Amino acid sequence: MRSSPGRFLLDGVSLAYEPGDTLAVAVVRAGAHPGQGGTLCLAGDCGNCVAEVDGIAYVRTCQTPASAELTVRRHPPGGPPAWHDPAPSRATPEVRRMEADVVVVGGGASGRAAAAESGRAGRRVILLDAGEGIEVIALYAGPTLIVRTREGLLHVRAPEVVVATGAAEIQPVCSGNQLAGLVTARAARQLYAAGIDLGVAVAIGPPPDGVPCMPLPGELVRIEGEERVSGVVTLHGGSEHTTPCDTLILNLGRSPRDVLARMADDLPVTVVGSAAEAFPLPPAPSAGIVCPCVGIGVDDLEGVWARGFQELELVKRASLVGTGTCQGSVCLPHVRAWIAARTGDTPGPFTARPASRQITLGEAAADVHLDAFRRTPLHDEHIALGAQMDRFGGWWRPWTYGDHLAEYRAVREAVSLGDVSTLGKFVVDGPDTVAFLQRLYPTDVASIRPGRSRYALLLNERGHVIDDGMICRESESRFVLTFTTGGAGNAEMWMRDWVETWGLRVLLLDRTMSLAAINVTGPRAGDLLARVGLADPPRFLQHVRTELAGMPCHVMRLSFTGEASFEIHHPIDRSADLWRGLMAVGEDLEIRPHGLQALFGLRLEKGHVIIGMDTELDTTPRRLGMEWAVNMDKPEFLGRDALARTAGLPDQRRLVGLTMPGTAPTEGSPIWSDSDIVGHVTSSFASPTLGQAVMLGWLKRAPFPTQVEIDGRPAVVTPPPFYDPEGLRARS
Amino acid sequence: MRAPESLPALRVVASPATLDGLAWPDGVTALRLATDDLLIIGKAMVALDDEPAIVEKDAGYAGWWLTPDEFADAVLPHVDWALPVTRPVLAQGLVAGVPAKIWLTDDRALLLCAVAYAHELAERLA
Repeated sequence: MRSSPGRFLLDGVSLAYEPGDTLAVAVVRAGAHPGQGGTLCLAGDCGNCVAEVDGIAYVRTCQTPASAELTVRRHPPGGPPAWHDPAPSRATPEVRRMEADVVVVGGGASGRAAAAESGRAGRRVILLDAGEGIEVIALYAGPTLIVRTREGLLHVRAPEVVVATGAAEIQPVCSGNQLAGLVTARAARQLYAAGIDLGVAVAIGPPPDGVPCMPLPGELVRIEGEERVSGVVTLHGGSEHTTPCDTLILNLGRSPRDVLARMADDLPVTVVGSAAEAFPLPPAPSAGIVCPCVGIGVDDLEGVWARGFQELELVKRASLVGTGTCQGSVCLPHVRAWIAARTGDTPGPFTARPASRQITLGEAAADVHLDAFRRTPLHDEHIALGAQMDRFGGWWRPWTYGDHLAEYRAVREAVSLGDVSTLGKFVVDGPDTVAFLQRLYPTDVASIRPGRSRYALLLNERGHVIDDGMICRESESRFVLTFTTGGAGNAEMWMRDWVETWGLRVLLLDRTMSLAAINVTGPRAGDLLARVGLADPPRFLQHVRTELAGMPCHVMRLSFTGEASFEIHHPIDRSADLWRGLMAVGEDLEIRPHGLQALFGLRLEKGHVIIGMDTELDTTPRRLGMEWAVNMDKPEFLGRDALARTAGLPDQRRLVGLTMPGTAPTEGSPIWSDSDIVGHVTSSFASPTLGQAVMLGWLKRAPFPTQVEIDGRPAVVTPPPFYDPEGLRARS
Repeated sequence: MRAPESLPALRVVASPATLDGLAWPDGVTALRLATDDLLIIGKAMVALDDEPAIVEKDAGYAGWWLTPDEFADAVLPHVDWALPVTRPVLAQGLVAGVPAKIWLTDDRALLLCAVAYAHELAERLA
């Protein structure tokens, strides 16, 4: 449907348009250039007509119908579009989804033919035509096409995709190719059909049918003019000829519009028509702007080539050629020709990646969700207690309830509750369970008696620590395993892979999100639990199944804080009841909950590592000083061969304890020795109990110094644990 | 989207052959999460004859029972992957970016997820 005549705003000036005009055509009709100069294709192939339309930059004005509501601002010369502060508020584009048997991209002759053929075969066909304002901007596995329409985004999934996007016209690369007044043959036809006077028009290459112009023989040498073309120089008969003109029409050949095809990789995509043709490349350029979108000239290509970037993908990365608005549509044939002239080999086109068109942040964010963070069943309890919640390991967790030192003291001096529901929790059972765990863990699992538990490292084949946790034996064949909060997901995959690899009869159930866990810790923890029915508490590293406050619980005696601790695993639907019950009966024991901030300090006083925080990807038990957790007498376990092989080799890395007076340095602080950085701090805490800063940190240069400098202050390498080194409090 | 309801369940992990041989009464929804993993929603007892198995009560799921129209309106726009066409069928994947499971029968649908994610899924479907 053709629109009525009207006016829109161009750079603040009212401009008339005729029915059927795009913004670009209307601007040319007014004698101006819609962009910053350069050849106009008016087919959406180049970036020479992009402008800001209603506050959105990089809009192809040749693809945007003119209408009276629009405000157009041309991008400033040589710089980025104006920044709007604050940015205009816009609704997030709506995303619709469609499915079909076949999607045809391109509404030209080959696209229509492909669609008709599939339709006759009774298949559901969707035809997406950029000419109708429906632009396919990305192709992903599925295959799924991401499509921009005037109504929003469209996700189309189909088992077969036909790319029939046709061919773009080659644009000139020579001196003066950024002037106004240059048009491709198709653009010339479009402008002439719109009734626009092209003035004195000359054509290089076959002149467009029906457009009054003078064809020029010979090759294009350069284009002359100030802002607009005034003449063209051609090489003909061995000499240069200058021809004055108002419009230069360029019909220099074509190149396939194959950006989607190049995104497809191994996807079931068929390319038909001109998009599949191998057109001849243009002559290698010797001067002028090659990539008008980014402003890369031939001299820039020569610069990166001289620096050693002598391959198409490297030239692209080093010069940024092809990374602009048109994603190589204009420059790619020229760059390939330029490289071919230097090497004798014509490189294939560079890789195409989504998106093939500029998209707004709103379009990029449409229907995209942030990672979902889990809540423990005690989330509302924490909020009610004034907790400051933060994200850790994929969960919302209480960082502090407002006074982390008071929380710390509650653990050291009274009793405290910690929500450890986020820990990985697994049940394993089956006839081969012991054999499985013996091969999985470096500790001697077979020696753990029912009712007992043991701390264990989890190693990969290289002997690197990938997680840690507890092994609790319940019976001859049944075990409960715990893992770190962040490691639980990987632990499950890890175990299932090895069960399958080893062909063992082992059953595995992830209980992480079915069970909650509360850590009751502090010198009065036993008193508190006696009040809710734990008359015979397990001793250190024992565990029992029992009822507390009328609910089934699995109570594990261990310690991460350094105080007597009972980890109570229980059904999540009863967790809030248990938490409230414990808080209520512990009131006179000065109970209060503790968050992660206090917990990190408490465990650091004990020198307990946090996997991922204190460890690195290639951390071995030896580097942690935890060789005690590895039983090399076992004939087989994951990582054993690597540990045996490297045991006698020198090692320049150690995680060590450090102490220093005063405040705790920032975690990550460099560790200095003899004016060199020899490591960094991984964990740091100003211990109220010890009256000094305690730290863990990596030393990465042997011989390991004993006196170092951190934060401009002297620090001493001090073997952990810093607090209660005999472990008497945890066992009390 | 209304608040999710809790879905008390029984979780049975056993050999595929053992699970294949189980039967349950009407009113019970049994979802085969994996070849060796069964989630039984509703009141059910499972008797296993000396077979190695893990049988645990599971309060870890919450969800929404929906009519086909409710499912099409509230859930389908947030599913960016192909749902199976057979019925009944269990599908597992992201719904609005949240890990979820979908049980589809001819006359109703169950959208369920871990309780830990339920608040997030409810907010995103709202």
